[in-house]
Amino acid sequence: MSALEVDGRGHVGGLLVTSHTGRPLEFQCTTPVKPDRTQEILYGRALRPWLLGELIGSTLLDRVSIKPDLVVVRDDEMLELRNHTQTPVACLSNTEESTHNSRSIAGRQMHFHSGHSTDSEFIESRAHLVPDQADLEEPLERVHEALTETVRTVLAR
Amino acid sequence: MTNESAAPGPDDVVCASADLSLDVSTASTGFNPALQRVPQIETTSAPLQLRPDFVPSWKPRRIAIKCIGLTLPEGEEFLPSEEARETSSDGTNLRRIERKKQTAKSEATDSSKQKQTRVKPPPGAVSLQDRLFYLLQPPLETWLAGQELIMPFEPFPYQYEGIAWLFARHSGLLADEMGLGKTMQTITGIRLLLRAAQVRKILLVCPKPLIPNWQREFRLWAEELPIATIEGNSTRRRMLWTMPGVPILITNYEVMTRDLPEIPEEERPQFDLLVLDEAQRIKNRDSRTAQVARSVDRKRSWALTGTPIENRPEELTSLFEFMDVVPKRAAPDLRQLSKLADEHILRRTKDLVMTDMPPRIDRDAELELTNAQESAYRYAEKEGIVQLNDLGDAITVQHVFELVLRLKQITNYDPLTGESTKLERLTADMEEIAASGGKAILFSQWTKSLDWLDERLQPFNPLIYHGGVPTKKREPILDKFKEDPNAHLLLMSYGTGAVGLNLQFAGYVFLFDRWWNPAVEDQAINRAHRIGQKNPVIVTRFICAKTIEERIDRVLREKRELFEAVLGDGDNDNVSLSMNADEIFGLFDLKARSDDGSRSIGPASPKAA
Repeated sequence: MSALEVDGRGHVGGLLVTSHTGRPLEFQCTTPVKPDRTQEILYGRALRPWLLGELIGSTLLDRVSIKPDLVVVRDDEMLELRNHTQTPVACLSNTEESTHNSRSIAGRQMHFHSGHSTDSEFIESRAHLVPDQADLEEPLERVHEALTETVRTVLAR
Repeated sequence: MTNESAAPGPDDVVCASADLSLDVSTASTGFNPALQRVPQIETTSAPLQLRPDFVPSWKPRRIAIKCIGLTLPEGEEFLPSEEARETSSDGTNLRRIERKKQTAKSEATDSSKQKQTRVKPPPGAVSLQDRLFYLLQPPLETWLAGQELIMPFEPFPYQYEGIAWLFARHSGLLADEMGLGKTMQTITGIRLLLRAAQVRKILLVCPKPLIPNWQREFRLWAEELPIATIEGNSTRRRMLWTMPGVPILITNYEVMTRDLPEIPEEERPQFDLLVLDEAQRIKNRDSRTAQVARSVDRKRSWALTGTPIENRPEELTSLFEFMDVVPKRAAPDLRQLSKLADEHILRRTKDLVMTDMPPRIDRDAELELTNAQESAYRYAEKEGIVQLNDLGDAITVQHVFELVLRLKQITNYDPLTGESTKLERLTADMEEIAASGGKAILFSQWTKSLDWLDERLQPFNPLIYHGGVPTKKREPILDKFKEDPNAHLLLMSYGTGAVGLNLQFAGYVFLFDRWWNPAVEDQAINRAHRIGQKNPVIVTRFICAKTIEERIDRVLREKRELFEAVLGDGDNDNVSLSMNADEIFGLFDLKARSDDGSRSIGPASPKAA
């Protein structure tokens, strides 16, 4: 799952459900979502987690017909999604350092929502299902491209 | 102060006015008297309001979000049943995924993460969902490595690009130069389309002798795909044409042309993809083969050929018509053909893709004839043209051809005096090459010229390799040329030496006289300039100024430029760039007497040498 900010129009989010080998199964994306001024003031620093995780993230997860076993995100603020779903959510870390709340899967460090410590153990127990050569970040690039294409197409209409 | 209003109702506007007038009296001025003055205060009362005037209120609300989405064909099987959709919640029931079997290849491809060949939406994909389908495909490297698609060899990057290009094409002409792997790219493209559930039934048509080759390649690159070859008697063939369950049918052009029109229209098989190998077979749009190929019911059309243009750019039109990218009977001009080619043709040459090959340096040696050669040449030319004119309407292309050959021979050497400007230049170059320990290959059209050179180039220990050398003696000659440091020159005929030999230890190539077709010359040069060559290859073409050689060179260059205008740069494999009758007559400002202006002249192949 990934999101993209469209100049002056808010954020769009996209969720690509893939098989364990990276083959695309289903894709959903949102139209741009823009908070109003009051929301910006009242949510303060919680605005982006609310927008990306709760609002966009849970909408997308509700919307997909093929429910994923794990949601991978690149943005820490999207981890907020975990408070609104039973599905584990993992965020790709930018560093190689491991912490008590992170795990290495297919050569990539991932960390989890601090309020859901069991996610780390859950992933640990299923790490063997992820192919060694899997590139967990690459599908997020596909989501980014698909979002860019969708925005470009919609704006051109 | 008075209160002018009665008690207000809850929704009434409260209006109150206050009389702010105060009694004013004059007082002694000055600070001290002012301090002694008692302030006068009057009070008034006002009723309390039952509700505040304005209360800002805000409740968090959920912004309505619209979604756009698509389920890809491979996702269909993962969709929950209607029943399950009603009862399950997010992620509560984890579906177990099987661990992929480790293959030697997957363990060894860490580097695959660095290479990313993405499928791009084809220009014709207009709808957003179509474009998203292609954009959401994983990079080919991870796709092929991540599934149990065993690839016996790691494809080259340009091959990955070719596969991605084919995958996204409903109409495509893969025109890679021979030897770059069109077959493998096509098979892998088919394999991925089948995996992505984009095609179910495919027909591949090729020339009959190539069927075993396709069968072998399918076994190598896609052993899991069932294929059936349509062959045998007509009853068996009829059964095979309509047999369900086999995704790939292979047949030859003759069988396709004979069988399909005989099948009643309502029973004719439908294909998701039709592949024509050696697609120049349908270059004549009016031929029966082309008509039947166009009539096949299909969704995608791929054509494969290393020579999309054999003689005229218009031949491409027939291929474009097959691919449904031009209307029936369309006659696009050169500019339109070039635009269509950009969109629908993928052509790579060795020059473009084998970037690690050392360069090939071409230099034309323009030589002036010696005096004896000049006299002999002018005399022969004058006499020859007079004779041709005397023939009147009886003149044929063969008469002109004979004169051309005679003149070309004189440019090699004067038969009377033995003078040769080419030999002088060659000797000078060879001295330099031999001094540096180099090796050179020389090509000529005539074995007689090679024997003549052999006698005069003895200081360089020349070896002769042409059709007159017994087969069993040929291999030792090549071995000696490779191993003997004193053997600096190999004299070869185009016919015997142009194909199939690996002589990449030679750094110099001389074209002593010119062949009729630059593609044959390229094949000859490629004996030395091929994979394995570590140094640049210097190619010297001998062209005598103001002779027939110069005129032939100009015609061939113009033809090549014309084809490059359509197919782009880097093209050096149009094997049929031969001169036609009009062009050969034009060498002497004569007009062809025959109506068949496109008839090729000269030997059909360099084997004649």
